[in-house]
Amino acid sequence: MDFLSHLTTGFSVAAAGLNILYCFIGVLLGTLVGVLPGIGPVTTVAMLLPFSFTLPPESALILLAGIYYGAQYGGSTTAILVNIPGEASSVVTTLDGHKMALAGRAGPALGIAALGSFFAGCVATALIVIAAPPLAAIALQFGPAEYFSLMVCGLVAAVVLATGSVIKAIAMVVLGLLFGLVGTDINSGVRRFDFGITGLADGIEFVALSMAIYGLAEIAVNLERREASGQVTTAIGRVWPSWQDIKHCIPAVLRGTGLGSLLGVLPGGGALLAAFAAYTLEKKVAKPPRHFGNGDIRGVAAPESANNAGAQTSFIPMLTLGIPSNPTMAMMIGAMMIHGISPGPRVMTDRPGLFWGIIVSMWIGNLMLVVLNLPLVGIWVKLLRLPYRFLFPSIVVFCCIGTYSVNSSITDIYVMAFLALFGYCCIKLDCEPAPLILGFVLGPLMEENLRRALLISRGDAMVLLQEPISLAFLLVSAGLLLIVAMPTIRRKRDEALQE
Amino acid sequence: MSKLHTGKDFWSGVMFLGFAAVAIYVARGYSMGTPGRMGPGYFPILLAIVLGLLGLILVARAMLTGDAAVSRIKIVPLLLVIAGVVLFGYTIQWLGLVISLMLTVALAAAAGRESRPLEVAVMAVALAAFSVTVFHYLLLLPLPIWPNF
Repeated sequence: MDFLSHLTTGFSVAAAGLNILYCFIGVLLGTLVGVLPGIGPVTTVAMLLPFSFTLPPESALILLAGIYYGAQYGGSTTAILVNIPGEASSVVTTLDGHKMALAGRAGPALGIAALGSFFAGCVATALIVIAAPPLAAIALQFGPAEYFSLMVCGLVAAVVLATGSVIKAIAMVVLGLLFGLVGTDINSGVRRFDFGITGLADGIEFVALSMAIYGLAEIAVNLERREASGQVTTAIGRVWPSWQDIKHCIPAVLRGTGLGSLLGVLPGGGALLAAFAAYTLEKKVAKPPRHFGNGDIRGVAAPESANNAGAQTSFIPMLTLGIPSNPTMAMMIGAMMIHGISPGPRVMTDRPGLFWGIIVSMWIGNLMLVVLNLPLVGIWVKLLRLPYRFLFPSIVVFCCIGTYSVNSSITDIYVMAFLALFGYCCIKLDCEPAPLILGFVLGPLMEENLRRALLISRGDAMVLLQEPISLAFLLVSAGLLLIVAMPTIRRKRDEALQE
Repeated sequence: MSKLHTGKDFWSGVMFLGFAAVAIYVARGYSMGTPGRMGPGYFPILLAIVLGLLGLILVARAMLTGDAAVSRIKIVPLLLVIAGVVLFGYTIQWLGLVISLMLTVALAAAAGRESRPLEVAVMAVALAAFSVTVFHYLLLLPLPIWPNF
């Protein structure tokens, strides 16, 4: 019964006049940036973050969420038609999707991608409704020690799943935590790391950090490469896949959805990992496997279902525990905090309208996406021809306006300029920025929970090991780190992430 | 041929060491407190030490086992983009959004190799019109629009 009443609450918020419009704008923008190479959902969410502050929190989060999962749809369109993944999570879709397009079967590839995504989106939405309340109930029992260890566990998992060097990823987390501590310490009132700059008293502006790294630094790196120009396959043909295609794909969609939902919940997971894992799994278990890489429709169905499922279930830890599993979720948390909502298990009970509204809006948004994608594919294809030289100066300008409008602070703009330089160095040195962003969001929370845990135990750090739940989180973290440290597994992980 | 030792790992190690050093230097004045009553310096110093150690490991590993070279750096586009941002910050409050934005577009666009002057001019005007409409009239953001001396 609860299930239904939650959904009713959700519908009454999500379907309320303006919110449905914001949901539509969100998925439309998401699809758009998913289609455009060189600008992704993280950049877009970062750019829109400051402008969403003028909206009520429900509308703002519905809009931002729409961008995230909308981009998963858009990314597949370019992957199939042009062999350019609009989104990182669509990289694997290029393997079979583009081959299908070359063989004149672009239509069914796009169709199955959209249908698979829609199915996965529905399942994932239902999963959130089922899994969120018990998870939040458990989380409500957590004390500071448990919370601290949970955050450690989340950050470690993000490190393990990051590409490249584990040491660099850990260092990026730690640096992110340090960045998060800049500004006035709530307990002592001491202004930490402000370098005498008044504008830093409130800390590094989250919008400035995320735009510097995902907007500006990305641009600088993109400009070093030559402008990619792919071969646009314009002949799309019949979009609706044949019944035989659908039947062929059902197991792949189911497996992709299952695996994607599971991996989305993991910290550091989300759409990208889900898509890669689903493709690899499908190649191993699907029979007959011989067509993979040569335009097998299941090679489109599985990763596309998985990335959408993963994109949605990654909301679970964010909404119930307040722990972001990827940079986009970190931005959602940033958005909530700026609206004065502290993310965590209390959101569900204190703001049921917000909580269930977001979830139901995802389902509505998925429906809109199917409608947007299948008939409008032609328009998206035209947009692909928009050259990057028009795109990047606009991004620079929107980053500036966005950062300035948060606090009307010029310091924030200069901070963003400095962080852009820093972000560029990180990308050049293969230091992935995602762990930094997660650390940044969790920095103050971790310090506060550690402080409280140690205050209660009178300074005895063993408390983290004595509370069973806390111990379990720390053991999992240690186990994960040990596993990656082992050379054979590390090689396998690198292969899996590169494939 | 001797192995390369100053590549991606080495320089990222140096970067982390640099941040750790600055953090410890700045935080030296913050009170540490005790574990039971953590002062404002406790957690940052702890983190900075961990960061420094990780930086050391990266540098040491690069020295011992060799390192991958940093891909070629093109500093001009980066500097132009950053200059565009700084210019925006420097001018927004007295020149206003319209002029500030156009200057930034011009600088940023120069970072691309194939930008054409006429296109950039059209883009600057279009973006200015769009921004004023959306941010000033629709979203009512408190942005100065015109020069104010």
